[in-house]
Amino acid sequence: MGGRAGIYLCSCGNNISDNIDFDNLTSYLSSLEDVAYVKTYNLFCSEEGKNFLYNDILAEKPERIVIAACSPKEHEKTFRDIIKKAGINPYLFQMVNIREQVSWATEDKTDATEKAKAYIRAAIKRVKLHEPLEVHKINCNTDVLVIGAGPAGIETALLMARANRKVYLVEKSPCIGGKVARYEDVFPKMECASCMLEPKMDEILHNDNIELFVNSEVLDIIGYLGNFTVKIKKNATYVDKEKCMGCGACYEVCPVNVKNEYDYNLSERKAIYVPYTGALPNVPVIDKEHCIRMHPANDICKEAFEMGLITKEEYDLYRSETCDLCGKACMFEAINYEDKDEIIEKSAGGIVIATGFELFDPSQIKELGYGKIPEIYTSLEFERVLSQTGPTSGKLLMKNGKEPESVAIIHCIGSRNKKYQEYCSGICCLYALKFTKLIKKHSPSTFVCHIYTDWCVPGKDNQEFLNLVISECNPEIIRTSLPLNILISQKGSKICLKYNDLTGDNKEINIDMVVLCPAIKSSEKNKMLSLMTGVSIDKDGFFAESHTKLAPVSSNIEGICIAGCAQGPKDIQGSIAQGAASAGQLLSILVPGRELELEPIIAVIDENSCSGCMTCVGLCPYKAITFDKIKKVSCVNPALCKGCGTCVAACPSGSAKSMHFTTPQIFAEIEEVLK
Amino acid sequence: MCTGRIEPEFIIKAFKSGADGVLILGCHPGDCHYKEGNYKALRRFHLLRKVLIQFGIEEERLKLDWVSASEADKFVNVVNEMVETVKKLGPLKKESFVA
Repeated sequence: MGGRAGIYLCSCGNNISDNIDFDNLTSYLSSLEDVAYVKTYNLFCSEEGKNFLYNDILAEKPERIVIAACSPKEHEKTFRDIIKKAGINPYLFQMVNIREQVSWATEDKTDATEKAKAYIRAAIKRVKLHEPLEVHKINCNTDVLVIGAGPAGIETALLMARANRKVYLVEKSPCIGGKVARYEDVFPKMECASCMLEPKMDEILHNDNIELFVNSEVLDIIGYLGNFTVKIKKNATYVDKEKCMGCGACYEVCPVNVKNEYDYNLSERKAIYVPYTGALPNVPVIDKEHCIRMHPANDICKEAFEMGLITKEEYDLYRSETCDLCGKACMFEAINYEDKDEIIEKSAGGIVIATGFELFDPSQIKELGYGKIPEIYTSLEFERVLSQTGPTSGKLLMKNGKEPESVAIIHCIGSRNKKYQEYCSGICCLYALKFTKLIKKHSPSTFVCHIYTDWCVPGKDNQEFLNLVISECNPEIIRTSLPLNILISQKGSKICLKYNDLTGDNKEINIDMVVLCPAIKSSEKNKMLSLMTGVSIDKDGFFAESHTKLAPVSSNIEGICIAGCAQGPKDIQGSIAQGAASAGQLLSILVPGRELELEPIIAVIDENSCSGCMTCVGLCPYKAITFDKIKKVSCVNPALCKGCGTCVAACPSGSAKSMHFTTPQIFAEIEEVLK
Repeated sequence: MCTGRIEPEFIIKAFKSGADGVLILGCHPGDCHYKEGNYKALRRFHLLRKVLIQFGIEEERLKLDWVSASEADKFVNVVNEMVETVKKLGPLKKESFVA
């Protein structure tokens, strides 16, 4: 197999030639039987160097090429492109790193020269076994699926739609805007959150390129970059959004009252409801768990009557399937009790995961008394207390209807603590300051104290905001050490906080209302989505970016980006920036009319020798291997395979082969380098 | 290419071709560029060490460690330690493979 190789040695300024004896190396290499010629040049990566290489390959027509120079990370692609241009398959080439791995690492010149000989010899043996590989091209779909309609998802959807891409925006709740749409004001400029988001949300509802699925979830995702198939479950809402005018007549008459989860159970809603005033789209949904007409108990009741277990009178008394108050109240015939869950299949070329976050549950820390003492709130609950659309219509009131005389804000709940979340959520200090400002706005005489350990307020405007709030509102600042050591108990009508200050002294303070700032946590549902898509999650359960610095919104799966708090705790501007970055990433890959190139360095399975044991199927981290039930063999999907070679190493029959990293190629390299 | 591609045969081939020690370096667990290949490498490494001992090859001659691209100092230390270990053990006895 293979033929003789043309060898090119780069002296790299003097980076390489200073510490490797090029004359000795050249004469040694020239004496090897698999070598056609050896040529030296200073800087093959320069324009002159590239021209020399191109013209020389044209003239010499070598069967194989070895270039000994810098790291392949630096110039393998440069040289592959030149070789391809010169009419030779770019995979019939091997690059040897004699700079970082030899001249820079080995001090003695004689040793370095011998080491370079061994490395190049190994490459010559290896390149002989190389096979020409072709880059295959596939058509791609340029539509995009966005999961989650919070600030990040909204941003991606809008940018993609403006670029004329079809966007499927899937949101699990009945409304868009995420948690932010339920805040009153946002830091550091104290803007009204809903006013800020509304124009964007409105554009989402009216852009023809965006198909919005609220009350929906993604059931399954299969495929790969450019060719994903997505199953979306659209839960029945029982309200026709085309007919509904959003007048609210339906929920005014609904006889059912349940806790409103969108106000964190601080208020009640009806069984037909919009989550909060101003929620968009302004279309109510029927919660079939609580609607007495939809309730499964109706069926049981009917069955019991038919079996003669209850009398007609009892049946009429218990059954409620006839309740159609909302249907009657609607002047537009928008209520459709026959609405059914639908499963919709869509194709998309790219996906953005923007599923947001959850809060750490403070009841996990018993000493805090959260869940037992009524006037202890989490930050998200407190956002609703402050919000004009919230349970108190924006008045700062306790559950007894009185204004609190004092509020304590406790930082770092479950954050910066190895037992819970080791990281700093990065936004809590800032919203705690915002709360201070809002409390003082509502009730200037209310005493506010912060129990904190460090102020984490990086970024522009934020330190200024801290200084402003401290000087304007003059809150009491109590510094404690980490981990927090606070015991909270009810003491009459007050809440008693016992804590250690920085000197270790026991202190006590009595307060009306406590606001906890819990860590931002990943959603439990991330695990399911990770299994479905193959996108990795990190140790904290957030979706993992493919590179912390260089690829902060890319995932390990090509064509799937991650944005907002699904990737890690961040503020609104950070989420929107990631949403925009994800749109940019996908726009640059999914170009109408452009075909996608498939990397040829992948695994292939020889179906003649595959025994169908399926070892590889379970091992593949990219779900790239499927089992062909008819042929009883495993098959690699070339668009999904990343060429890691895990299946190849595990294949008991040797049927899996790593292109460009075959066992004979690696054996040849090992053998020669050790000779 | 990933540590997950490393077949036990590669290691045996290296010892057979004259290596006195083999060092496998991969991405840190949880930080694998190819998601989880390093975990597979770890499993195979433990199994292979057991086999090597039966061939009379000291287990210290095969080492697996995790070094990321940004850990130059760690890389240097791990390599130097390995060189020291192998120097102390001396050349691999060829008879190891005869049995």
